[in-house]
Amino acid sequence: MYQFLLTRKYLTSKLMPLLASVAVLLCTAMVLVIWSVMGGFLDMLVRSGRTMTGDVIIAWPNAGFGHYEDLIQRLEADELVDAAAPVIESFALIGLPDGRQETVMLRGVDGPSYARVTAYKDIVWWKKLDRPLPKDKDLLDPRNRDLKGLKWDTLYAQGLSLTANDPATGLPMAAVVPGIEVSGFNDRTAQGFYNPVLVNKRLPNGEYETVDLFMPARGTITINTIPLDSRGTAVETVSRVLPVANEFMSGLFDLDNRLVLVRLDMAQEMLKLQKSDKVIDDPTTPDGYKVVGENPARVTHVLIRGKGDLGKFGAAIPLKRRVESIYEQFAEAHRGEVPGVVPIIILTWEDQNRTMIGAVRKETALVLSLFSLVSLVAVILVLTIFWAMISDKTRDIGIMRALGAGRAGIAWVWLMYGLAIGTVGTSLGVATAWVIVTNINPIHEWMGDAMGLTIWSPEVYYFVTIPNQVDPTHAAVVAIAGVLSCFVGAFIPAVRAANMRPVDALRFE
Amino acid sequence: MPLVEVENVCRTYRMGRADVPVLRGVSMTVDKGECVAVLGASGSGKSTLLHLIGGLDRPDRPDRARMKIPKTPAIRFGGSDITAYSTRKLDEYRGRDVGFVFQFYHLLPELTILENVLLGAMILHGPGFVAQAGQHRARAEELLTAFGLGHRLKHRPSQLSGGERQRTAIARSLINQPALLLADEPTGNLDEQTGAKILDAMMELRARTSQTMIVVTHDPHTAERADRIVRLKDGLVIPA
Repeated sequence: MYQFLLTRKYLTSKLMPLLASVAVLLCTAMVLVIWSVMGGFLDMLVRSGRTMTGDVIIAWPNAGFGHYEDLIQRLEADELVDAAAPVIESFALIGLPDGRQETVMLRGVDGPSYARVTAYKDIVWWKKLDRPLPKDKDLLDPRNRDLKGLKWDTLYAQGLSLTANDPATGLPMAAVVPGIEVSGFNDRTAQGFYNPVLVNKRLPNGEYETVDLFMPARGTITINTIPLDSRGTAVETVSRVLPVANEFMSGLFDLDNRLVLVRLDMAQEMLKLQKSDKVIDDPTTPDGYKVVGENPARVTHVLIRGKGDLGKFGAAIPLKRRVESIYEQFAEAHRGEVPGVVPIIILTWEDQNRTMIGAVRKETALVLSLFSLVSLVAVILVLTIFWAMISDKTRDIGIMRALGAGRAGIAWVWLMYGLAIGTVGTSLGVATAWVIVTNINPIHEWMGDAMGLTIWSPEVYYFVTIPNQVDPTHAAVVAIAGVLSCFVGAFIPAVRAANMRPVDALRFE
Repeated sequence: MPLVEVENVCRTYRMGRADVPVLRGVSMTVDKGECVAVLGASGSGKSTLLHLIGGLDRPDRPDRARMKIPKTPAIRFGGSDITAYSTRKLDEYRGRDVGFVFQFYHLLPELTILENVLLGAMILHGPGFVAQAGQHRARAEELLTAFGLGHRLKHRPSQLSGGERQRTAIARSLINQPALLLADEPTGNLDEQTGAKILDAMMELRARTSQTMIVVTHDPHTAERADRIVRLKDGLVIPA
C-alpha cells in the first residue's frame, strides 16, 4: 500500500526519474516508428506484389506460347483457381507529346480477365470518386469536379477496356493506359491526388506549343516495339500512335513510372505474336512458300488468381503445385507446340518478389535489433538514476525499516517505481509513435518543402507513400518490452535498497 | 514481569581493521508503564542500546571464553527473546510493538505530515489498510490534533518548524499504538524552549496513556523527567 503512495509521490516530485521516462518515451517511439514503417513497407510490398500479377504466374518470355485459351480454360475449371488472364510483356520505346522518348515495360492485357485476376479495376486513376480523399479538405482533386466535354464514367470504361475513340475518325480503337508517372504530365500533391500540368507539346513543324494536356482526353503516345523471330532475331520495328484511354496508379512507383498497358490483341500484332499461317519453303509456288497450317496466337504470361486470401507467406504454394500439374497435362495435350513443364516458368507472387521481400525482411530485423539495443540505454538510465536515488533516500529507507517495512516491501517500492516510469514512458511513447506514423507523409513532404530533405525517395523505396499504420500488436509488444526494461533497470537498485541494514541506513550521512 | 528485559548485551562495530566495542555486557529492565531515561555521554553506547531493544540491530553473540561473560545475551519483550526472531518477525515487532522517535525526526519529505503519520499503519496492515483506511486516517488526524497540528495536515515537513516536525514524528510513532516508545535524543536538535515543550508533550502523553518509554539522552535535565535513570559509561551500566 505504501509502495503506491511513494511511487506516486516520487513520480510527481522528482525531475531525474521524469527524464528517465522521457528516455523511455523516445526509445519506445523510435522502435515503434521503425517497426511500423519497415513492417508497413513489407506489408505494402506483399500486397502490391499481388496487385498487378495475381497469385501465380506462368511465364515464357519473349517467344511466348500458344493455345493459351485452352490453358486458361483448364485452369479456371480447377477448384483452386478463381480466374486466369493472358498477358504479353515486352520492352518498348515510347514517344511522348513533348518529344521525350522513354523506355517502358509494355504489357498487353485482356481488360476484363485482367481485372478479374488483378486489382486493375481499383487502380484505374481517372474516375469519379465515391468520396474525396481523406486529406483533400478543400476538394481540389480534379476527380471531384465535372470534366468539360467528357464524362468520368466514359473515361473509366475506356480504361477498363483499354479502348478510346480515334481522334481523327471518332471510332473506337485500341488505346494505352500508362502508369500515372510515365508521362510526367501529372503533378502529385501532398493530399495524394494528381493535377494535370501544362505541357510543351511538340508540333509537326518542330516548334512547341504550351497546352493544357489532360492525357486521357487529348493525349497520344507513340509506341515502338521490336518483335523477335523464333531464333530471337529482331524482325522489324513496329510503331503505333495510340490514344491514352486512362492512367493507372498502383502505388508501386516502379510500375507507375515505367509500365504501359495496351490491349492484348494490339500487343500481339505489334510483337508478331498474333495468329499466323504456318508456312514451309516451297520453290514450286510463286511466293516460294506453302501454307501448311496455322500458328496459334501467343502470349508470354498467364496470370492466375487463387480462391481465398493467399496473401500470407507460403499460402500460394498449394496453388502453384496445382498449376504445375495442370500445365503438365496441357503441355502433354499440345506436345511439341508449347514448352514442357520443366522449362516453363511457374512462380508464386512470393517467388517473383523473393529478393526484394527477403531484403526488406532482413533489413527490418536488422534495424529493429539495432534500435532495440539502443533502447538498452533506457535500462541503464533507469538503473543509474535509481542507484543515485537510493543513495539519496537511504535514510528514508532506514525509517521505513524502523516502521516495520520488510526487505521485500522496500524492494517493491523501487520496482513499482520502475514499472511506473516504464508505464508512463511507454504509454507516451506509443502515443508519440502513433502521431508520427499516421502523419508521416505530411511530415515528410513538409521536410522536403521546408528543408529540401527527401528521405523517402519513391525511386529508391518503391512506393509513393510511406506506410502510415501502427499495428496494435507491434505497439503492445514494444510497450511491454519497455515496461519490462524499466523493471529490469530498477531491479539491482531495488535489491540494494532491500539489503540495507536499518541501523546503517539511519546513520547514513 | 518487566515489559523489556536486556541481559548481558554486547555490540561491537568494525571500524577499518579494528573492532570497537560499544556495549560490553549491558543489562537493564523496563516495567510496563515506566519511563526510563538512558543517560550517557556521546559514544557511551546509548543509541546502540536503543537500536538493539527496538530490533533495528542485533547484539553480538560473544565468545564466552574470550569475553568471560557467563550468560548468553538476550533482549526480551513481553517474555519473548527478540534476538531469536527471524528478520520478518523483527519487522513485525518494529511495526506493531515499537514506536521510534529520532533526533532528526526522519520524516519523508515528499509526504504530507498526515501521510507520514499514516505510513506506519500502511506498512503494518499492508493491503488490509484499504479496508480500514477511514479509521486509520481518523486516528492519525486525532494524534496530530492532540499535538497541535490539526490545521497543518496537508503541509509537508519542509513547511514546519523543528518542534512541529518532532511532534509529527511522535504522532507517527504512536499510530499503531505500540506497547513501547523508543526516543533517541528527541530534543537533541531543538532549542531549549522547544525541547522543553516536546518533553512536556511526551510526559503528558505518558500520564494520559501510561505509555512505556525509553528515552535516550545526554542531557541530565531531560533524564530527570523520567521515572528512572540508567547511566551508561564506556558500554556498561553504572550501578546506581
